Order: sequence, then C-alpha cells, then structure tokens
Amino acid sequence: MIQIQNLVKRYGSLLALDHLNLSIQEGEIFGLLGPNGSGKTTAINCLLALLKYDKGSVTIMGKPMKPDSYEIKREIGVVMQEVAVFDQMTVRENIDYFCGLYIREKSRRKKLVEEAIEFVGLEDYTKTRPGKLSGGLQRRLNIACGIVHRPKLIILDEPTVAVDPQSRNRILEGIQELNRQGSTIIYTSHYMEEVEQICSRIAIIDHGRVLASGTKEELKNMIKTGETITIEAVALEPEYLADIRGLSHVFDVSYKDQVLVIRCSKAKHNLVSVLNYLREKDIAFGKVFSELPTLNDVFLEITGKALRD
Amino acid sequence: MIVFNCFLRMIKRNCGILILYFSIFLTICISIQLMTNGKGMGNFEEERLNIAVIDQDGGTLAKELRAYLGQRHHLVKISDDPKTIQEELFYRNIYYVATIPADFEQRCLVQGEKLKTIRVPGTTSAFYVDQQINQFLNQVKVLKAAGYPDSEIYQKIEIIEQAQPDVALLDQNGHGGVKAPHVFMFQFMPYIVFSIICYVISYIMIEFRKKPVRRRMICSAMPPIRQNTQLFLGYLVLGIGVWALCMLLPVLLYGKDFLSDANKFLYMANVFALTLVSLAVSFTVGTVIRKPEIVSSVVNVLSLGMSFLCGVFVSMDVLGKGVQTAAQFLPFYWYEIVNEILAMHTNFTSEQWLEIGKGLGIQLLFAAAILCVGTMADQYMTKQ
Repeated sequence: MIQIQNLVKRYGSLLALDHLNLSIQEGEIFGLLGPNGSGKTTAINCLLALLKYDKGSVTIMGKPMKPDSYEIKREIGVVMQEVAVFDQMTVRENIDYFCGLYIREKSRRKKLVEEAIEFVGLEDYTKTRPGKLSGGLQRRLNIACGIVHRPKLIILDEPTVAVDPQSRNRILEGIQELNRQGSTIIYTSHYMEEVEQICSRIAIIDHGRVLASGTKEELKNMIKTGETITIEAVALEPEYLADIRGLSHVFDVSYKDQVLVIRCSKAKHNLVSVLNYLREKDIAFGKVFSELPTLNDVFLEITGKALRD
Repeated sequence: MIVFNCFLRMIKRNCGILILYFSIFLTICISIQLMTNGKGMGNFEEERLNIAVIDQDGGTLAKELRAYLGQRHHLVKISDDPKTIQEELFYRNIYYVATIPADFEQRCLVQGEKLKTIRVPGTTSAFYVDQQINQFLNQVKVLKAAGYPDSEIYQKIEIIEQAQPDVALLDQNGHGGVKAPHVFMFQFMPYIVFSIICYVISYIMIEFRKKPVRRRMICSAMPPIRQNTQLFLGYLVLGIGVWALCMLLPVLLYGKDFLSDANKFLYMANVFALTLVSLAVSFTVGTVIRKPEIVSSVVNVLSLGMSFLCGVFVSMDVLGKGVQTAAQFLPFYWYEIVNEILAMHTNFTSEQWLEIGKGLGIQLLFAAAILCVGTMADQYMTKQ
C-alpha cells in the first residue's frame, strides 16, 4: 500500500531522514518505533506531502504522493501528535467539520459523525467545547476527527502522548478495531509496550534510518538476548560477578543499585543455573524475575542505548 | 461550504463582542443626541460670578465701573480688609475682588496703571471679568478722546453693550450650517467598525491558523485554494454584515433626518471603504498573532491609537499640526477628512469631489497594502 524509497530529508546541516526505506502492506498495523527526534514525525510529514524532501520517493496506493494528490488524501485519515481541533466549536461540530473536508453529502456526514462519536465514546460530550475536556478525551476527539470519514489508511502520530492509562487502553483498542474494520494503520510511538501490543509489523528507526523491521517475533529473534534475569542482591563482590559472567549462555552481567541484571542467550534452565550458583555461594537475594526480550532489548542491542535514553 | 459554515458558526460564538460594542456605541450616540437635541449647539449663556468691588476712589468713573460690573455679576459687599478678603475667597463666597484705587481716573485711565485684582486661584471665569473691566475702560478712553462729555459716555457704553450681533450661519449642508446629529455618529463609527471586525476576525483567524489545525487541513482532501476562498467569503459576509448594521443605526436613531441627507450614499461608501481597511487589518493581525490573549491589547492599541490621532474621538480642528501630519499615514484620517466634507456641504465643488475621491481611494489603497502584508505574512507562516 505504501512504498517509501531512499527518502532523504535535511534541515540545514541536520540529516533528519537518511535514505529511509519502508514498505507497508494493506491491512496491517505498522508501527514506527523510535526515540524522540529519531525522525518518525518527519517521515510521516514527508509521507503526507506536508514536507518537501531532498531525495527519494513516496508511493501510496500505487500513485506518487504529492501535495495536490487529493484523490489519495481522500483515503487517508490523519491523527496528529498535537490535538488539532477548534476551541470555539463543540465536539460534534469539530468532528462534523473535519468530516466535511472529505464528504459533502450532509446526510452521510451526519451518520458518519454519529458513528465516530460512538466509536471514541464521546456521546456524553457532544455539546462540550474541547477546552473543557480532559487530556484523554481531547485525544479521543482528535482521533474521531481523523477517522470520521472512514479512510482506508490511517496515520496516527503518537496519539497517546500525555494520556491517562484508561484512555490509552481505549485508544489502543479503538485502533485495533479500526484495523479489523479494514483500515491499514501506521502508528508511530516511542512507547514500545504500545507498539508491541497492537502492531503486526514494526520498524525501529533512529537518526532517520530503519535499523530493523519485521514482526515483533522476527525482531526479537534478531538479537542475542533470549532472557533477561533481574535479581535484587546486596553487596555482591566483583569475583561473584565474574563467576556469573562465566556461566553458560550468560553474555552480559551488570550490577547497579543492588540490582543484578543478567542477559542470557536462548537456552533452557538459565534461571535455575543462576539461582544454583547463588545458593552454592550462600548469597542472599530478594526479588527475582525473568523476562523474555522486549523491543527495548532489541533497540538496546542494535543501538547500544535504551529507547528512552 | 464546510469552511464557510464553520466561519459563520464562529462569528455566532463571538456575537457577545458585537453586541457589547454596539451597545457602547449606541449609548454614546444617544447621549450625544440628548445633549445636543434642540439646544446647546447655537445657544450661549453668560455666567454670573460673585465678585466684590472695593471702591477707594468714590468718583464717577469708579461708580460707573461698579454699576457696569454689577449688571454682569453679583456684587458682594465686603470690608477692605485683607484677612476678610482672603477668608471670603477661601470659602468661595466670592471669586474675584477688584480694588479701585484713589485717583482712579488719573492713575488707570490716563497713566494706564492696572487695576489691583485678587481672584480664586486657577479659575478661568475671572479672566472674563478682567476682559470686561479692560473693555469698559477702553470704551471710556475712546469716547473721551472722541470728545464726548462724561454725562453721555456712560449712556453710550450702555447702548453699545446692549447691542446684540446678528449671526446667521451659512447653510451649506441643509442643517442650518450646523452639523447634523448623525454626523457625530459617523465621526465615531471607525472605532466601532474597526474594533468589532478586528476582534471577531482575529479570534477566528487564530483558530484557523493554529499550527496543528492548519496542518490537518492541508492533509485533507480539500484544496487550500477552496478553503481560503471560503474563508475569504466568510470575511466578506462579516464585513458586509457589520457595515449593514452600522448603516441601520443612523436610520433607527435619526430616521428621516439621515434618510433625507443628500450625502447618505457617500457616508455609506465611506464606511464601506473603512470596513475593507478593517478587514485587511484584522486578516493581518489574525495571521501574525498566535495567542488569543494578545488580541485585545493589539486591537485596543490600534483602534484607540488611530481614533485619538485621527479625529475620531475629538474633532480634527483640536489636533495639532504635527499630529495631523502623522495621522495622514493612518486610514482613519482619510475617513474623517471625507466625513468632514460630507458634514458641511451638500453641493460640492470640483476640489471637494477630488478630496472625497482621494479620501476614499487612499482608504482602498491602505486596504490593499495591508492585505498584501497580511498575505505575505500568511505565506511565510505556512512555510514555517
């Protein structure tokens, strides 16, 4: 559905997009994951022809995307990072306005507006002005304005920033529902949990480049880490750390603030062998937990830094 | 027409400002009408002060001066004692004390010595008593020099003083030479038209020019040219609406008086030209300003500033030459120039027609220039 090839965008001397390549298929929820300033929003702006790029091409639904590609734009719903609504109009009027930018027919618009209000759960606030809504409700309104015209492609740029957990869950469920109804979705976020929860395919980007892409399983398989064991242990001697590092399948050990983090490659009984060692050496320990690799681990291993650094 | 409808909806939301300004304007106009209704413009009433005349001379001239002042003011008897005089002045029992010295005629009439006077500090009325005394003494001097005997001099002065000048105002505007009441309404109108349009459009423009909304609208399936055309239509509807309301006011308040004014269409054209200027300014203000909180201060500075400098609140005759020169660079000035000509004439000379055309033309040029600035600012902001 979308092909981005060798996209280059410079802001003066800053290279915001460095030969970015992406391919997004119809019907998927595609996640663009990266830290703040990694180029996610720039990529979206280039995709929507809001920004001129220096090199490369963007094709949507088989046609090149240009500022005047109104036929393509008709099929795209956009939910911006900032809430894009009129403060002087009510919730219903706002949704109707943004629907009217795509659909002229009044009766059809009325039906779509009602559906959008119901979809985001703003039935009780239709006559309220946006300024009187909570942050979460404003985000929901923002989404309603973006999806009201039933687009085939929906682009959501960090729609859950500064949203309470309840609203966030509602928004994420809504996005999955839109996908089930047939929309292709591009979702950008720096919250890996969200991306992991809803996206069928993910591209990790940093410094304007795609570092890795695939399903979450594919991404996790790309890295060495198979299991991360975290143990609360007091005053561990450096010799113990060296011993643990020497255990089979362990490839990284760190000890900070009385918390021991052990990264192991995929193998059976990693946790058991670590605990056995602690028992042998009579080392007291508190909480113990073991996790399968997350997207943060993927990002960490690829870039050498955590996603939220 | 979704953008246009949205614009109209926002105008409705800002109706409060419109009503508020019209109410203030109507109150001012009605007050002026009540103040000037049937009197005031052509009438004059002399003020009579409580004054004291201390006669140390006792001669005929002194007595006649005393009688002369007595006809024009209330004479209060007080003793020739500085303490008493001070006290009477302090309590405002009297406002003016004239002391006629001994050998008055010789000293004041022949030698030209000034009469000793004491007055309440800061009072302007006392100035007129000074003038009256000077006038009396001058008349005596002139009549004496002309050879009139003393017995006739004072009779002559009385006759001269009783004579009333017959003033006939040249009627060039169909209102007996004085300004018609609706002229004052048109004099104040720039403030109201400008303020309403600037407030309403600036608030709406800020909404439409918010970065996220603007980006969101560019992403939509409606070409920007169609969006802008609909916005432009919205501006025009607001402008014409405010103009029509402003034209309705003189009809409602002054009825026939305004409708029978031969210049009514020129008044309307003048306000329309000013409406276009206001639309252009409001477009620019709304483009440049991002925060609604700032609108009020900017619009106030512009509307009040131009109103005070260009003769909206005070007649242009009162303004200094420097102020008038500076005001030429402001559109209100040209509106008021046209308004002044329309107020005083119905049959125009070719020069007056030229002045009217110039005034209207310059206002339109102002509108075009400001609109260009606004458009450039808008394009710059869009690129940003």
